[in-house]
Amino acid sequence: MNYYREFTKGIWEKNPILILGIGMCPTLAVSTSVSNALWMTLAATFVLIFSNIIVSLVKAVVPSHIRIPIFIAIIATFVIIVELTLKAFQPDIYKALGIFIPLIVVNCIILGRAEEFASKNTVLPSILDGLGMGLGFGLTLTVLAFFREILGSNRLFGYTLIPGMEPATIMTLAPGAFFTLAMMLWGMNALRSRKRR
Amino acid sequence: MNASILRSTLILGLTAFVATFALSHIKAITHPVIQKQERQKQENALALVLPGYTIGEERSVAVNGGSFTYWTAEKTDGPATMKAYAFIAEKPGYSGAIRTMVGVDDTGTVLGISIIRQSETPGLGARVLEAASRNTFFQVVTGRAHETGEEPSPWFQEQFRGINAAAKIGIVKKGDWNEAMREELLQKNEVSAITGATITTKAVKDGIEEGMATLRTALEEHAKAQEAPAR
Repeated sequence: MNYYREFTKGIWEKNPILILGIGMCPTLAVSTSVSNALWMTLAATFVLIFSNIIVSLVKAVVPSHIRIPIFIAIIATFVIIVELTLKAFQPDIYKALGIFIPLIVVNCIILGRAEEFASKNTVLPSILDGLGMGLGFGLTLTVLAFFREILGSNRLFGYTLIPGMEPATIMTLAPGAFFTLAMMLWGMNALRSRKRR
Repeated sequence: MNASILRSTLILGLTAFVATFALSHIKAITHPVIQKQERQKQENALALVLPGYTIGEERSVAVNGGSFTYWTAEKTDGPATMKAYAFIAEKPGYSGAIRTMVGVDDTGTVLGISIIRQSETPGLGARVLEAASRNTFFQVVTGRAHETGEEPSPWFQEQFRGINAAAKIGIVKKGDWNEAMREELLQKNEVSAITGATITTKAVKDGIEEGMATLRTALEEHAKAQEAPAR
């Protein structure tokens, strides 16, 4: 098994959002500012890595017909750990991300990787897979947030870019998220088809 | 078949047990910290909405099913003693209740508001908490940023200072509020809505109006109750 490939596949070749098309909901919702995107990435990657570890450890004893509830219980446990920790030690971030922290439970990337990868592989590749997928998710989210924050609120990392300019608010709203994501998908597909030729 | 049902049940039960066990420990660690922070937040909010006042007693009254909490406060300004009140207004926003701590003086003029709990959409409704930094990105990157002694207070909350809560508060769509708009809006008793989050703005506004009405009733009742035994 090529560990390096297990790690890098999530970033480009099997990017969860741009190629696999999973985890769109939090992607569209929290990519309004770069700092939201980075904290979301951190929280989701933490849950992803640890749920991958536990799932890969218990895969042998879990009967296949009840695997989904067990995976969800494992994921939910880590999400609550993240939620309580953020609430206690990073209350501002917790306030900013709001409902999207508990919603990590239903982030398709996490259950998807548990089902697709961690339940079929050993611990080390599962960690690398989680890390790679988390990075791929985070990178997409950050690029998306970069454009949306600049165009939609005339800011970057919370600092005003051009004083006095009225930003295009539609970019912070849902349509702006869809436009930007569509552009990114277009770019990704264009790059990939050029490579194939 | 029976054996498999038993085994599945046991495994599921065990998973739930381990998860609960782990979470109860995490909860035990984080609970005191979270509680301390909530208390701190309430104290900070009180100090923010009633600047310069000494907080008196905390009172709670039952209002149609829920409870309404308010504080009395006093400030001595020369020979005169000024009275003020703070109350917690709660109103459903776009997603979940928005709790606002509101400070008003005797006449119903808002001394300050502080949103203590909300779960609005990040980037839209959640901007009620957003403070506009006075520095631009390029100033920060090039190291020419102004030395900011204290963080500016969120513009959305700032614009309520001076608004008459006892009268009807209007909502206008003028984009982000700034200091230059204060006079014009105060004259008409209006606030500027957050772009794309009018529902949130309306919830905060309605909460303040309703809370003010409840506060009046509560104060009247309290005064009556004080008088009653004397008679």
